[in-house]
Amino acid sequence: MVSTSAPGSAPGLDAAAGLDLQASFETLLQGVGLSAGTAHLLWLPLPMLLVLVAAVVGVLVNVWLERKISAAVQQRIGPEYAGALGVLQPLADGLKLVFKEDIIPARADSLLFTLGPVLVLIPVILSWLVVPFGQNLLISNVGVGIFLWIALSSIQPIGLLMSGYASNNKYSLLGGLRAAAQSISYEIPLALAVLAVVMMSNSLSTVDIVNQQTGAGILSWNIWRQPVGFVIFWICALAECERLPFDLPEAEEELVAGYQTEYAGMKFALFYLGSYINLVLSALLVSVLYLGGWGFPLPVEWLAGWLGQPIDAPAVQVITASVGIVMTVLKAYLLVFLAILLRWTTPRVRIDQLLDLGWKFLLPIALVNLLVTAGLKLAFPAFFGG
Amino acid sequence: MFGFLKKVGDYTRDAAGAAQYMTQGLAVTFDHLRRRPVTVQYPYEKLIPSERYRGRIHYELDKCISCEVCVRVCPINLPVVDWVMNKETKKKELRNYSIDFGVCIFCGNCVEYCPTNCLSMTEEYELAAFDRHSLNYDNVALGRLPTSVTSDPAVHPLRELVYLPKGEIDPHVVPDSEPRAGRLPEQVLETLPKAEPPAAAPPANPDEKG
Repeated sequence: MVSTSAPGSAPGLDAAAGLDLQASFETLLQGVGLSAGTAHLLWLPLPMLLVLVAAVVGVLVNVWLERKISAAVQQRIGPEYAGALGVLQPLADGLKLVFKEDIIPARADSLLFTLGPVLVLIPVILSWLVVPFGQNLLISNVGVGIFLWIALSSIQPIGLLMSGYASNNKYSLLGGLRAAAQSISYEIPLALAVLAVVMMSNSLSTVDIVNQQTGAGILSWNIWRQPVGFVIFWICALAECERLPFDLPEAEEELVAGYQTEYAGMKFALFYLGSYINLVLSALLVSVLYLGGWGFPLPVEWLAGWLGQPIDAPAVQVITASVGIVMTVLKAYLLVFLAILLRWTTPRVRIDQLLDLGWKFLLPIALVNLLVTAGLKLAFPAFFGG
Repeated sequence: MFGFLKKVGDYTRDAAGAAQYMTQGLAVTFDHLRRRPVTVQYPYEKLIPSERYRGRIHYELDKCISCEVCVRVCPINLPVVDWVMNKETKKKELRNYSIDFGVCIFCGNCVEYCPTNCLSMTEEYELAAFDRHSLNYDNVALGRLPTSVTSDPAVHPLRELVYLPKGEIDPHVVPDSEPRAGRLPEQVLETLPKAEPPAAAPPANPDEKG
């Protein structure tokens, strides 16, 4: 990962790639007397830690937003006393869960019971590998980036089934089965919607997908070329995250808790964390795939040109990088806001309606969308990525 | 072929309808975001109970004649009237009177039928206790007057919806001096013709009653 946060680090400055924090960090360590390999090894955990922290902080912000926006929609006040405007409430929630007793039911399969939530959380966190916050601001620019995310997200149903089965409780098992059915059936239209975008950008890499949308600012974003795909993707992402209107595996007002019934304390917190990280991740990926990723509504090259600044000057690089991060996060949180608003707008679907929507509506539409995109790509290669 | 096209048309119409309803729903929830919370932050803010609020019962021992009408009209014969007959004066001597508010349903029948008006209903509703037996109030406890919400310096009193001026729904922003919507009973009385005997007076509009 190459991060831009130290403006004055001259040794790592590279005119082509902008600021190279990794190179400057490693040359610094080599200057102290370490070998190149050791310096690289010391560098490696830093971006991972940074992304992990970013994901967890993102979840805290998300929980706070969820509670505050929900309260506002229902004309309540929401958390108020834990910190200013209740910003520390998610922390208090988390602390409470950490200090609760870790219970494994007597007749449950303790290994699978423990493994289940872990298997739900880890793929979600791993998927942050491919989320770009800027041209060079991601852990690894994997060639199969978005495909990696789809592949990782299909591990999640295994974890759900595992925890539902291991709880030794028929309701948990049913909840787990439902959750798995939901995840699996919505993965297909999701993948097809992604495929249409991939077809236009000729690459699975998330960086290439964003770069393909940077030509003319807001006008070149994929949402104008893939409006149907955007809607399909968003619906499927909500279903994958088990957000309302698709939260029936764990319908808090109706069921006990689905596959989470027997979970308490930190294991429950893992599920909770997983679902919120997944929501932030989905929102980030929607912004990457359809809303131009880190792109500003006006191309930054134009802005720099109007201001008479060379685009590869260090100061301009730092500013564009920070604008990129802000834009990605802003777009993602706008989508999170939409998801929270949708939560209080839409009624929950039944399991048959859920599967109907997935298989009989979204799947054909996604297929047609893919075909139409392919046709448009052949007909107008200039606009649809020839 | 035609059937397939019809299916596609139906699909499209359904999808358009769904999108339309979703937009309408989102517009409603979005509009709610800009409204002020209706929350009454209870221990710091309290609603003023209405004049006819049926809260904890107040009792005046001195007025009581131990007639036990309250016991008879009570659905579960709840009030305990502990009296003895004084043989010399041939009068009932009231020793104790108690009502168990853990059992009382606050129907107000005793208050309604008390011939000497020694019973009345207060606006006190905070009757939580750690032990249900402590809700069994004797005549001393029954004789205590509740703290009024409006006179408690630690509490910000809020008016209920019907006591607000016309068109207002948020008690936080209405000053205390603003009169409530409609007319008070005494204001209605002023508009009635004075010369007529009270029995012949037409009943006031029930909507305008206090």
